[in-house]
Formats: sequence, structure tokens, C-alpha cells
Amino acid sequence: MRTQLEACIHAVNQVILGKEHAVRLAMTCLLARGHLLIEDLPGMGKTTLSHALAQVLGLSYQRIQFTSDLLPGDILGTSVFDRETGQFIFHPGPVFTELLLADEINRATPKSQSALLEAMEEGQVTIEGATRPLPEPFFVIATQNPVSQGGTFNLPESQLDRFLMRLSLGYPSAAAERQLLQGAARRQLLTQLQPLIERADLLAAQQQVSDVRASEALISYILRLVEATRTHAQLAFGLSPRGSLALLAAAKAWAFLAGRDYVIPEDVQVVLPVVVGHRLREQNSASGVGSSAVVQSLLTDVPAL
Amino acid sequence: MTTAAQVRDDIPRISLMWLLIAQALVIIPHLLHVPLWLIGVWLGCAAWRVQVFRMRWPFPNAWVKAALMIGSGFAVYLSRGGLVGLDAAVALLITAFILKLLEVRTRRDALVLIFLGFFTVVTSYLFADSLLAALYSLLPVLALLAALVGLQQSGFAREPLAPLKLASKLLAQAIPLMLLLFVLFPRLEPLWSLPQPKDKGTTGLSSSMTPGDLAELGQSAALAFRARFDGAIPAQSQLYWRALTLPNFDGRSWSISERFERSEPQWQAQGESISYSIIMQPSTQPWLFSLDVGSSEQEDIRLMSDFRLQRRTPVNRTYQYQATSWPQALRQPQLNQRQQQEFLQLPRTGNQQTRDWAQRLRGQYHDDDALVSALLRHFNQELYHYTLKPPLLGRDSVDEFLFSSLRGFCAHYAGAMVFTLRAAGIPARVVAGYQGGEINQAGQFVQVRQFDAHAWVEYWQRGQGWRSVDPTFEVAPERIERGLQEALQDESELFQGDIFSPLRYQHIAWVNQLRMSWENLNHSWQTKILGYQRDSQQAWLKQWFGKVDWQVLGLTLVASAALIIALIVLWMFKPWQRQTDPVQRVLNHFQRVLRRRGFKRETGEGLRDFYQRIHQQLPQSQQQAVRVFIETYEQQQYAEQGQDLATLRRALAQVKK
Repeated sequence: MRTQLEACIHAVNQVILGKEHAVRLAMTCLLARGHLLIEDLPGMGKTTLSHALAQVLGLSYQRIQFTSDLLPGDILGTSVFDRETGQFIFHPGPVFTELLLADEINRATPKSQSALLEAMEEGQVTIEGATRPLPEPFFVIATQNPVSQGGTFNLPESQLDRFLMRLSLGYPSAAAERQLLQGAARRQLLTQLQPLIERADLLAAQQQVSDVRASEALISYILRLVEATRTHAQLAFGLSPRGSLALLAAAKAWAFLAGRDYVIPEDVQVVLPVVVGHRLREQNSASGVGSSAVVQSLLTDVPAL
Repeated sequence: MTTAAQVRDDIPRISLMWLLIAQALVIIPHLLHVPLWLIGVWLGCAAWRVQVFRMRWPFPNAWVKAALMIGSGFAVYLSRGGLVGLDAAVALLITAFILKLLEVRTRRDALVLIFLGFFTVVTSYLFADSLLAALYSLLPVLALLAALVGLQQSGFAREPLAPLKLASKLLAQAIPLMLLLFVLFPRLEPLWSLPQPKDKGTTGLSSSMTPGDLAELGQSAALAFRARFDGAIPAQSQLYWRALTLPNFDGRSWSISERFERSEPQWQAQGESISYSIIMQPSTQPWLFSLDVGSSEQEDIRLMSDFRLQRRTPVNRTYQYQATSWPQALRQPQLNQRQQQEFLQLPRTGNQQTRDWAQRLRGQYHDDDALVSALLRHFNQELYHYTLKPPLLGRDSVDEFLFSSLRGFCAHYAGAMVFTLRAAGIPARVVAGYQGGEINQAGQFVQVRQFDAHAWVEYWQRGQGWRSVDPTFEVAPERIERGLQEALQDESELFQGDIFSPLRYQHIAWVNQLRMSWENLNHSWQTKILGYQRDSQQAWLKQWFGKVDWQVLGLTLVASAALIIALIVLWMFKPWQRQTDPVQRVLNHFQRVLRRRGFKRETGEGLRDFYQRIHQQLPQSQQQAVRVFIETYEQQQYAEQGQDLATLRRALAQVKK
């Protein structure tokens, strides 16, 4: 099963060049049943990444382009009166899918953003009083432009907290970019991608991830990290318990991908920046969320053993 | 039917095993003096108890137990001739110790058995107080402790050596306390004195000498005493250790006279004196050993009228005393008529040939000294032969020895010479004691064994007092100059009974060296440890504390004991080590080792990252060890494969290499 997952990662790497670590983290996020927020400038391959993941994992795929006039109904779906039957018939929105790409999520109004809230956390949506389950698995990959760009609405902290990871792809290396320019069009490559893993296997893998062992000593390390965020002088607030759960879940998934059935501190350290970066806010930062410098200091200052 | 409570109270398998081992170890040193059928009883009881544990056999019922008890008691009575006395009492104790095994159902019973075992270990000190015996007794104590530890374990414990480890630790922790008690605990005089075990003191000089007795001594390599001289050790031929004089002759045996006890000896110190201290083995007799003329300032020792030192009470345990001797002293220059008569006493009849010969000599030599010289010359020049296997002598033993057999050892020569002197009218007596001894160069002491027993002659002359001569010296000078073993080199029967006796291998230098060192160690054991009695304790305490006040001593004892216990507790719990997790402590040790080699793990660095960072710089041999340690640590700490400190420590030891 792990070889299948490795094959998936490999296939995605053929499309997204030179971003092995980010791709692996994205896979980790999905295995940990978390949602992924990719924050980067336009044109960095965010959409391609999500699309490629959906393809290789064989998931049904929907994309919502968030705009300032997007309404919640556009996400969740609406009931339309059917004249022939004389009844309201529910037309599911794009959220009823296995992998949802919420493109440029920070361009929509907070009202529309929060429509995703219940879906992401509960795996179900409530529309007009009726609760409808979402398919299993259900991933949301949201992309957003850095908040300094014009015409954006900051995601509220409550919403940010619901993303397991926040990734940033960054510019590719010169070699990767050269390869990109010389190679075939990405769009074409995407259509050539074949599903490489059965849905049942993916669900089983997710189950195994949650069975990965986290020993007493490892939990202590996570607690030390969490405690450090809560007492850190430069941070306005520390990690929530949901944050620590997310950290453990992500570390377990990373350990699983590394072929271990137990977590070691190194796993936690790998996922720490992407898991806690968007959940922390620096004391004297007016708008910005998170700080890689503070997270780095967590990695070096908190005793690992 | 067994209930849950019974199962819980059963004796755990491991504890039972240790109990059986301990019992064997406790009994082994007693085998020398308990009836041997006890071995059979023990084997039977042990087998029975094991069968009970395996649920094959039931516990014995009351009738069987009663029969066993009465039967064993009767058997002890038969084999020891009674139930009173140390021997019989110890035999009974051990019998009870063995039979109790059949009654051990619950942990409480096992406790009784274990404490009985401790007591039995102590009783073995009554029979043997040597260094080896003391060291050996640690073994049964250890096994008993292991049984005691095992008793507290669950019946499902599977590590047979774990209780032993803990017991060794307990014993090691008790050692400082033991030393403290040894040094400071007041030596109390015993409230009652124990009767001596029968087999003690059977070797040694007795109060009478029938030629033949001393030959038995000659076969025994048992230690008689050790002497340490303050100055140089005199020549071996000067070492005539007087024990007692035998003036009475009944035609066969020479024996002591009770009359000496009362009169004071008369003597004048002359020449140089020799000081020495003697540690003697128990002899069950009151007389001590000294060179002529010995005196001692110890208050319970007195010089008897025949110039022997005697203690007020028999020497029943190892005894140490200090003595000073004046070898050239003038002894009893005057004897009254009655005393002279006593030293001229002979049986009315018998040994006529010798009497005639004495009269002829008397006629030849008018001077007493000349007569003595002539006698000695006779022993020297005629074909006398020194042997420990003389032929049996008949009624007129002196005649037969002097004129037909010509074979004998010191008792024969001394007896015959005194007889002849008396027959010639010269007051004389036989002196029994030891001659020579083995000089231990390493320890600067003389070691005298039972086969060094000797008899020689003293004759008296008006104005000159008693003078010593040794006819054996004329016959076998090597006996005096180099010791019995030299004199009997041809007689292979010496020590034949004991092939393990190191004395047999004296010609092998290193064996001899080893033996000497061992004797030296034993000597120190005797003087420093066993000899540390009331007097030496007080002297020692005075030296350290100025004065000996029992109150101060008691306080010191309690305070030091508290201090020692506190130190042990500190050492065990190590409160200064903030890290309480033993795995973490091993890791810290690992990091210290690597830091000394210049590799410091950063605070936030995982071990894998650490290894990744440093493994290039590590030598090939260490790479493997460090990786194994890290993997082991990871397995135990994160993979939850079960903590196994021993494995982790082994991995650490590899890193340290």
C-alpha cells in the first residue's frame, strides 16, 4: 500500500517539478484526513497540484473558483422547484465531491468562506434544515493569494484552524523551471495521469495512519512544543488542543509514509512548520498570521528528547 | 480444592528453588560434625517438598510428621549418645531445619524456615571460625536472602536470578553497617559459656604421655599456634615451646603432677629477653606455650612452679597472649628433699636392665654433667633410629627400647633418658611441648603445627637449677634443626592420609609460596578480626576517641549507622539526578560520551538527525555502534517495543568502546 502511495507521489512529481517535499506534505495531509491550504502567488502550480493529486488518487474532483460575489448556495447546492412533480428537488453543489479545490478562497466574502466550515470539519452539510453527508474521503484543498494582494478577505482564525496544513510552494529551482519550459504542457500531462490507488486502499491507509503508535515520550515532546507556543513571548496566543491533535495526526501520517508504525520526534519536526504556522500569530504583527522564525525557534529550543 | 487466597499465599516456584539451595548451603559446613544420615533425610524431604509443589504428592499428615520427628530425634540420640551438648543440639537443630521443609505451606511458614536458616548459619561459627568458613557463610546467607526476596514475588515470576541479584545488592549494602557494628559494637562477656564441640581439641598435647601418643600428633597437620616475635625470630633449634612437664612415671606413661599448682617458681632472669605474641588454637586445656622461662603480664595467666604458663580457664576458643622469655634464666637453683624425691620417683620394679645400666654409668661418671653427656653420646653413637612407626613395646618398655628395638621418636628417647637419669640418682623430668615450627617469611611469624609436638628432658643440679637437654637431637639432629618433615623424608606415610594437604607439595616452590601467603592471611584474620575482642577494641577506641565512654560509643554507633543508611539511600535514589527516567539517564550518558568526542546533540535535534549530521565524521567502527544505540533507543522509547534497560546499556557499552 505504501508503494502505491509512493507511486502516487512520484507521479505527481512528474507534473509538479522540483517540489517533492511539498508534494509529500500534501499527501501526508490527505492521509491524516486533513484539509490543505496552499498559499502562494498566482501561477505557482497550486491548481495543478490539487488536480494532479485528485487524478492519481482516483478521486472525484470539483473546483470552485471563489470570487467576491460567490454565495454559499453556489458551494453547497440549492433546492429547485420541479414543476412536474410539484416538489423541491435538491441540486447538490460542488461540495459533494471527494476532492474539492477551493481556488483563491480569500477572494470570497466571509459568509461564503464559512459555508465551507461545517463541510470541512463535520464531513456533512446542512442545507435548508436537512443534513446531508459528504462522500468519504473528503478533502478540501484551498488555495489563496498572499493577503497583501488587493481584493482579498483574510480567512478568519476559526477557518484557518480547520486546515491541517498550510503549504507554500514557492518558486521552482532554475533546473526545475528549465525542465518545465522544455517539457509538455502541464494540462496535457494532467489528463494523462491515471489513478494509481484504489479508494478502499486509500481509506485503509488512512485507517492505518491513525493506528501509528505515538509513545509516551513522543506525546511528551508534542506537549513541550505546545507549551512552548503558549508561553512564547513573541506569540499572541498558542496552539489550541485542535492544533496539537493536528500536529500528532500529521506526524503520524508522515511516519507512515516513511514506512514506520511509530512516530519519532523528527516526524513532528518535519510537519511542525506547516501544521502550526497558520495557527499562530506573532505579538507585534498587525495582520500577518504565523511566523516561520518563531516556528524555527520552536524546533531548535524545545528539547526533542 | 484450592482457593484463590491459597494460590496467592503459595510459595513461588523461584523462592522454593532458592530455599532448597540455601538449605543445602547451610547444611554443607555442618556435615563435618553432624551424623551423615541427615543427608539422606534432607534429600528425602527436599524431594518430597518438590513433589508437593508439582502437586504429585500431598503434604505429610500429622501422623507421618510425628513419626518423622520422633524417629529423627531418636536417631540423633543414638548417633550422638544423648540430646544434650553442642553436637547433639546442633544435630537436632539441623534435623528440625530439614523436617520443617515438609511443613512449609504458606509464605509465613517459609519465613520461619528462612530465619531458622540464618540461625543455623550462625551455629556453624561454633565449629569453625577460619577465614574460609566466614567467607563461605556468605553463600548460604545470600541464598537465604534470595529466597526471602523470591517470597515476595508473584508465583508467575520467571527470572530465577533476579532475586539473587537483589539479594547481592542487599548484602553489599549491609557491608558498611556490618563493618561499623564490628568495630564499635561493645564486646559483651558471654552470660554463659557454651560447651565445646566434641571434635575440638582432640588433637593437641594431653596431660600424659605414653610413647605412641605423640606419634598420633605427628600425623596431624592441624595448627597448634602461631607466634610473632617482636624482634628477630630465633633459630629453629632454639624454639622449644614448653607446654607442661611430666614428672610422674607409672612404668608405661609419663603424666603431670598436680602438686606444682600451688608453689611459686623460683628463678632469676639472666641474659637477654625475647618478646612475642602467640595466638593459639583452642586446646580445651589451660596450659599455654612459651619459650623458657616465660612470663606474661596478662592477669589471667600465671607462671606455674614447673615454669609453664597457665591460664585460669581452659582455652576453648582462639586465644591470644603476649609473653616474654629469658632463655638463659637460672631456674630453681634450690630444691628441697621432698621435691628432689619427686623427680627421682620410679616404679618399684621393672626395666631392671636399664636400672643396672644406670648404676654402671654412675660408677663410671661421678660428675652429673659428665653422665648426661655420656648418655647423649650413647644416643648419638649407637644405632638408634628416629621413626614415627616404632615397634610395639612390651612390659619393660624402656629396656626393650634401649637395648633391643632402638627405634622410636622423641617420647621414647626423652622417657628412656629421664628413666636412666633417675635410676642414676639425678632429678629429671620429661617436658612436653612443641619444637620448632615453620617460619613464615612473608608474615614474620612462626607457625607451629600438631606434628611439631615434641618431648625433651630436664635434669636438675644443685646451684645450677634445671637444665634442658634433648636426646632426640643426638639421634636425629635434622628433626631439631629443620623440622619433622625433613627428618621423615623417607617415611612417606607422613601426610599420606591427606593428598590435599598443601604440606605434601612443599617441594613445589609456588605451591609453598601460595601456602605461606595463605597462612599469613589466616594469621591476620586471627589477630585482626577474631582477635578484636574487648581489650583490643578498647585500646583501638582509646587511640581514636581519647577515652572510651559507653555513652559516647553508643551515640557514635547510632549516628554512624544513620549516616551509612542515609548515604545508601542517597546513592539509591540519587535525588540530585533530576532525570528520573532510567532510559533517559542512559541517553544522557550516551550524549556525554559523544560530547567528549566532540559531537554535541542540539537541544531540538532528534537522534536520527543527530546521526545524520555526525555519522560522516565518526570512525567506521563507531558508526555502527552509535547507529545501533540510536535504533535501540528509538525502538524502546518510540516504537514501544518494551523497555529493556539491559539491552540499551549493552548498546551504550559498545559505543563507549
